[in-house]
Amino acid sequence: MSVTVRFKFMRTGPVRYLGHLDMLRYFQKAVMKAELDAKYTEGFHPHQIMSFAYPLGVGMETYGDYMDLEMNACEDAEALMGRLNAVMHEGIKVTGAVILREKALNAMAAVAEADYELVVTGDGKVSGDSEKKNAETVLTAAINELMARSEITGVKSGKNIRPGIRILECRRCKDYKGSNDEGADDYELRLVMRLSSGSKLNVRPADVFDKLCGTEAVNESGIRFKVTHLYRMEIYGNDKDGRIVALNDKTAE
Amino acid sequence: MDFSDRQTALSHDILMSIDKPSRYTGGEPNSVMKDDADIRFVMCFPDVYEIGMSHIGMQILYGMFNSMPDVWCERLFSPWTDLDRIMRERNIPLFSLESQQPVKTADFLGVTLQYEMCYTNILQIFELSGIPFYSADRTEDDPIVIGGGPCVYNPEPIADYFDIFYIGEGEVRYRELFDLYKRFKAENKSREEYLREASHIEGIYVPSLYEVTYDENGRFTEMTPRYEDVPARVKKQLVKNMDESFYPTAPVVPFIRATQDRAVIEVQRGCIRNCRFCQAGQIYKPVRERSPEQLKELAREILKNTGYEELSLSSLSTSDYTHLKELLDYLMEYCGEKKINISLPSLRIDAFSLDVMSKVQDIKKSSLTFAPEAGSQRMRDVINKGLTEEDILHGSEMAFKGGWNKVKLYFMLGLPFEEESDAVAIAELCNKVAGVYFDTVPKSERQGSVQITASSSFFVPKPFTAFQWAEMNTPEQFVEKAKITKAAVRAQLNQKRISYHYHDTGTTIIEGIFARGDRKVAKAIEYAYRHGAIFDAWTETFSYEGWIKAFEETGVDYKDYIFRVRDDDENFPWDFIDSGVNKSFLLREWHNAAKAQKSTNCRNQCMGCGAGAFGCGVCVE
Ligand code: SF4
Ligand code: SF4
Repeated sequence: MSVTVRFKFMRTGPVRYLGHLDMLRYFQKAVMKAELDAKYTEGFHPHQIMSFAYPLGVGMETYGDYMDLEMNACEDAEALMGRLNAVMHEGIKVTGAVILREKALNAMAAVAEADYELVVTGDGKVSGDSEKKNAETVLTAAINELMARSEITGVKSGKNIRPGIRILECRRCKDYKGSNDEGADDYELRLVMRLSSGSKLNVRPADVFDKLCGTEAVNESGIRFKVTHLYRMEIYGNDKDGRIVALNDKTAE
Repeated sequence: MDFSDRQTALSHDILMSIDKPSRYTGGEPNSVMKDDADIRFVMCFPDVYEIGMSHIGMQILYGMFNSMPDVWCERLFSPWTDLDRIMRERNIPLFSLESQQPVKTADFLGVTLQYEMCYTNILQIFELSGIPFYSADRTEDDPIVIGGGPCVYNPEPIADYFDIFYIGEGEVRYRELFDLYKRFKAENKSREEYLREASHIEGIYVPSLYEVTYDENGRFTEMTPRYEDVPARVKKQLVKNMDESFYPTAPVVPFIRATQDRAVIEVQRGCIRNCRFCQAGQIYKPVRERSPEQLKELAREILKNTGYEELSLSSLSTSDYTHLKELLDYLMEYCGEKKINISLPSLRIDAFSLDVMSKVQDIKKSSLTFAPEAGSQRMRDVINKGLTEEDILHGSEMAFKGGWNKVKLYFMLGLPFEEESDAVAIAELCNKVAGVYFDTVPKSERQGSVQITASSSFFVPKPFTAFQWAEMNTPEQFVEKAKITKAAVRAQLNQKRISYHYHDTGTTIIEGIFARGDRKVAKAIEYAYRHGAIFDAWTETFSYEGWIKAFEETGVDYKDYIFRVRDDDENFPWDFIDSGVNKSFLLREWHNAAKAQKSTNCRNQCMGCGAGAFGCGVCVE
């Protein structure tokens, strides 16, 4: 008998430079330290049965990633979260835990879409308020230009990624959560995206950003935009009717 | 305290453009952050992060220093060539991992010297930090630069680069150095005054306070203190009671995979065996054990505080640990329950070790390891390696019966008094091991077949060994011997079952020069560094020709350090170190080697090497 517990976690700050395998190793150690009743593989080198919804790229921060862990037994998922957080280190924190129902898809297979926020600046040109306003205008035009196309070829995949761009907006943001703070001048510009993810059509935020930088609107402006922070905000799956729900939603497939 | 908003010294752009950026961002579990401390000590391992973080000695001192409220110890490793280039282009000063602040503003820069081939990396650290290469050029704005580790048993080739060398085990004298530093700083004393006073502390060697003389051929004659109050000899420091010394129960756990990605307990320090080529065996004398009770507790604590899924035992020769069975029985049970793997060091192959190995490893995947070091019994007597052919063949037989079929054998070539037949004997020994397999395992039970992997490294004579008088082979001689062995392997009956490799000769020669060179070598190291030498321990960055040119251009007669037998009464640049082991004992051993006469080991019978004066460990058992 075993149950799978799905943990939601965040990672911010300098730990964002860890690779996917480093995160795996980090969590395995955390499970050890927290002495969770994890299930192990058989054999001479037993290891935990752990998987992630979506590998976190080097440099990416997250508020909504998921890790599945197989356990021998688990009554109270929330309690596990507390035990894990007690042994966590700077920048990584578990923010939720649910016991998966028996037939649920594994995290990786369940992924359908993901939200991103990219903090953008441009080579020294986007610091003052008027410059930011200008940059915002440029980016908005670029978005309109891009979204008007029916076909956008992905850099690596060669596939048409246009249908996979579900939301693409430029917002003024003051805090991490993307609230639109009109009027404040200590805001930063963020590109907010919801992109198709998973095996069918996987759109990477960096691809969309590159495409934006290649638009006429950006070219004409002469601004060289760059990304200073890349956040994944949430990962979604589908419920049985095909609606988009967060991966830790009880109704996720 | 929450440090998740810690600023990194490198910008996001830079971090995203280099290999393994988390080598440089710090913040690993159990790394120590402090707000404020009187002394900021940057501890440097001059190689890449993954290698440095695998070193237990650094973890011991890091933990010990940080347990002192007034000291903040931070870590520093060599930036890889990709980051090196960027830091030079953009004038970014080298920084320590924890605070991400410049190294130059630290109070101390401690460099651990584990192998000679890291010497150019030290200059990289200095240059990127903006610290002058030579002690003589440093000012009150520079940290005090201290070297420690096994290479300090001949620090002379790099003596001009260091303000202080600490001779021996770090646990003992650092507190005194720190207290003195605080006192002198409060009294506004100068760097020079501090170094002079520090030289009075036992184990502390301040190179600038000594005068070196050479004869008309430029050969070292003697080294004398410049002042009367500076001691002529510097005494090795060692921990007398291992159970009472500091051991880190919460070592820093790297995020990225380090070379040693596991919890480590140090079961003992030193070795009883007296192999004549081995420096570690002499400089860590006498062997001192930790109690099994303490080791059990350390293992539990460390595993709990790190979450490691693997535990290993560290020592020079774990099979000699007197409580090994008790310890392993306990650990196997404890780790078994917790699903923690035990990685065994290479134990002497016998019924006990095979039993243990069969419990913790997959026999089909694991291999037996023997380190006979020499192929013939005569050569093993020369080097005083206790392992006999009988041990190897019998051990192999037991193992083959138990289901193993992979054997690794480690040898050296270029040993003193070696003859052609000794190189051939390596092949013959491998053949015999393979033969044992065919005699022992009936055809019907053979799964796959026996695989023998033999490799030979080339011998480097080291200070404080019986072979410190010996001559090194030239690269041509090394290769010739390796070819003899290789041809002999091909001539064996079971040659198809044997694969043979040998190491690089170029690094061996340079290592030999650094091992027994004198102060003149420093300018050649600087020359080589300025002409691109770095990460010399890595074959992809090493250039032998570049090094030879460096010696020639700087007028360093490198051949004189290595390609001659030294006279019995020659003074060595490292003689000023009192390692506890007498030179007369080593000389006796050198003469015994010439006669192919074996000696014994410390547990069988004391040989009166001199280390008994420390009054601890095996000498007083
Ligand atoms: S057994 Fe020999 S080679 Fe190994 S550490 Fe001891 S003295 Fe050195
Ligand atoms: S004094 Fe004797 S027992 Fe002690 S280290 Fe030397 S030889 Fe070994």
